[in-house]
Amino acid sequence: MIDFIVYLLTIVGIYGLITLSLNFQYGQTGLVNFGQVAFFMVGAYFSSIATAILGWSVGVGFVLAILAGGVLGALMALPIGDLRQDYWAIATLAAAELIRMIFLNTNLGSEYVGASYGISGIPAPFQGYFSTQAYGYFYLALVAVCVVGAYVLVTWLGRSPYGRLLKGIRESDEVARALGKDVRNARIWSLVIGGAIAAAGGSLYAHFVGFIDPRFFMPLETFLIWAMVIMGGPGNNLGALVGTLVIEVIYNSTRFIHVPAEYSATVAALRMVLIGILIILVILYLPRGLVPERRRRYPRPSRLSSPPTGEPHAS
Amino acid sequence: MFQVIIDSLIRASELALIAVGLTMVYDVLRFASFVHVQFGTVGAFIALAISLVLPLPIGWAILVGVIVACLVTGYLGVLSDRLVFSRLRSSPAAILMIASFGLGMVMQYSVQAIWGAGARSFPLPLTRPWVIWDGRISPSGAAVLIAALLAMLAFHLLLTRTKLGIAMRATADNPPLAEASGIYTERIIRIVWFIGAALGALGGIMLGLVAQIQSSMGFEIMVAVFAAAIVGGIGNVYGAVLGAMIVSFAENVGLVVNWAPLLQLTGLTSATDLYIPVGYKTGIAFVILILILLVRPRGLLGRRS
Amino acid sequence: MLLEVDRVSRHFGGLIALNNVSLTAEEGQITGLIGPNGSGKTTLVNIISGFLRPTSGRITFAGQSIEGREPYRIARLGLCRTFQITLNPQRMTVMENMLLGAKQQLGESVLMAALKPRSVAAEERHNLERAWHLLEMVRLHNHANELAGGLSGGQKKLLALVQVLMAKPRLILLDEPVAGVNPRLIDDIVEVIKTLRNNGETFLIIEHNMAVIRELCDTLCVLDMGQVLAEGPVDAVLAREDVLRAYIAAGGQLDPDTEIATVMAADSQEHA
Repeated sequence: MIDFIVYLLTIVGIYGLITLSLNFQYGQTGLVNFGQVAFFMVGAYFSSIATAILGWSVGVGFVLAILAGGVLGALMALPIGDLRQDYWAIATLAAAELIRMIFLNTNLGSEYVGASYGISGIPAPFQGYFSTQAYGYFYLALVAVCVVGAYVLVTWLGRSPYGRLLKGIRESDEVARALGKDVRNARIWSLVIGGAIAAAGGSLYAHFVGFIDPRFFMPLETFLIWAMVIMGGPGNNLGALVGTLVIEVIYNSTRFIHVPAEYSATVAALRMVLIGILIILVILYLPRGLVPERRRRYPRPSRLSSPPTGEPHAS
Repeated sequence: MFQVIIDSLIRASELALIAVGLTMVYDVLRFASFVHVQFGTVGAFIALAISLVLPLPIGWAILVGVIVACLVTGYLGVLSDRLVFSRLRSSPAAILMIASFGLGMVMQYSVQAIWGAGARSFPLPLTRPWVIWDGRISPSGAAVLIAALLAMLAFHLLLTRTKLGIAMRATADNPPLAEASGIYTERIIRIVWFIGAALGALGGIMLGLVAQIQSSMGFEIMVAVFAAAIVGGIGNVYGAVLGAMIVSFAENVGLVVNWAPLLQLTGLTSATDLYIPVGYKTGIAFVILILILLVRPRGLLGRRS
Repeated sequence: MLLEVDRVSRHFGGLIALNNVSLTAEEGQITGLIGPNGSGKTTLVNIISGFLRPTSGRITFAGQSIEGREPYRIARLGLCRTFQITLNPQRMTVMENMLLGAKQQLGESVLMAALKPRSVAAEERHNLERAWHLLEMVRLHNHANELAGGLSGGQKKLLALVQVLMAKPRLILLDEPVAGVNPRLIDDIVEVIKTLRNNGETFLIIEHNMAVIRELCDTLCVLDMGQVLAEGPVDAVLAREDVLRAYIAAGGQLDPDTEIATVMAADSQEHA
């Protein structure tokens, strides 16, 4: 049982990164990314290729994954930077499908590696140092460190002027433009950061599971991440993690129900139906999620110098 | 060569039927609907289930199945609006899109829970395709083309000749004005959902007739359907048809064309034979989508700026 | 001549929204832009601020050509605008809205925020002080930490006005700054604009409220059906018969003490 909890928390941590990433794009910036799984996939694949195929160290693979995620974010955002949200949703969906198609059709190295065979034998870092059970704790700690790091990053960015700019763009990109803001550039950075964080999650996933395959990165994953963001509360980073926990618990809950083998597929599908209905209910009746966005309060400065007012042209 | 035309027209029929429903909802409710492709999935499965159960000759069984499936799915569309979208009328487009995506997933996985994830087909006997010039077309393929043509024609007449059609267009153009003139907007919206879902079901059935029926079939064509709607101009039903043709032809022609001469001009390669691998066929739709978003996001016939 | 609009036209397919419109705005003055609904005012403002491209014509601001440029670049040159339907971020607080307005913030770049935290913090403090002063000027300072969505219509308009001031603009385009505002607040808004003008600020104001126009504007430009009907000092223009006729023909009433009754939906496209 303990082992299962360790496993569950590890998965929650890994997906938590991807949810934090999506929350940064949607909750903070208002971008509807229906292709979030692409970052997850790219991170997993780049890390796996670097380590399992090219033989580099896991640390290098991890860094490479993060870079790849950031670059992908820029590539995705560049063509659509100024478009409306409807187009974002469709374009990101298409991009994710295209990427999955590329990985599905490309052999990596030898004949049975890559494409639909996936990559196996992905090394786990420092495996030799721990017993199997202790390794579980180690990896959980590793994931936890990454989650804390990502959480601190997005929270700090959220409170910075850049974060405020993103919120402004989320609320009204026309006003942002009328105030002289480069909306396109801000959005691109949002995707770069989001992409890097989600790709980190992908890398951690690949090294945790040891084997990846294009079928792990179906749009189903994007849907689950959205469920986590919506449930947790868009715009709140803690909410993102809470949402991840809730959805993962639901997703894994059927392990404890003894289901005859011939019904297991049906139960799996019904699980998704349940999550889908839950999302719709949350949207209808609890739109701010479980942990709503918090307001930023500014104290009045204790000493105010003599009024500068709105002197027009001083700069 | 003619084969390409036949294949493209068939594919265009499938895409157009779904794209029309999607684009109508965009026109009237101003959000991109991610649920319409799933109406195709649901419709195909219902038609299949009925055709398997009815003790009629297969052609008739399928026909009954088609009619029932379209009606039931149409009602499912209305239900979707009543239960979900009508309560979100004043929500931002992002929320509506996410809700539609979620609803689509509910439909897809419900179908999967009932019928499993495997692929099936209509129980049609194997027949020899008819040969026209240098192309082959199966009877199902021909049926698909004819049905699509009739459906589009009927829809066009509905839009232009009937009071209902004119009311629909008025509601799309200017909802407050339409409402003030006595056109009951909510009713029009329900009808738009009904027709869109029914047409979507028809599109899914056609896909199932010519290819296979699978719970993931809706999702698999989602990008191509959106490409069609956007290329034609999202919000414009004639654009959806035009876009469907363009995307389908591009997909099929793109596979047949030898790209080597073109690439040799860029100096990147000296190969003499370069074809897009079949696995990437739907990738062509994706590329078209990205291109149109870069160059002219409102599409060919789009009017909103 | 801070702003010069030179023979700007705009076609939408077959519809001619603007036809060879020319106007100027002098520095330190308040220029009014009036006309019946559907005359093209908002289209013109959208073109000047870069949200729409002209079909033909030139626009010069502070000596630079700005026609067809992106809105944010025009705003950075010093030409800022408000929107007829107040669009300011509803789910951000009043103070957040104000801080958003400040121009060219170092902290808005991800790299700068990371590399120069102290400069960013100093800039924030400076902007915070400016924002408080401006909010005090319009008596919104007690609402500083409330969500902007909770303000009344008139308060939102005031917020939009001071928000734009945070960007230190050289010319402010106000799109119906008192439409739908409680009469008491109208006086406040008028006073604020007058004070700013006396400090050297330049305005181009679209309005229907004739009392406000008379009180504020130095010069007036009248648009009718996409063309300039009259241009010149306020009193002279408003005395003209053809100006009065244009308003009445469009179904409105030219009553100096109340807002002009607007014509219905036919032009909702213009303000969309």
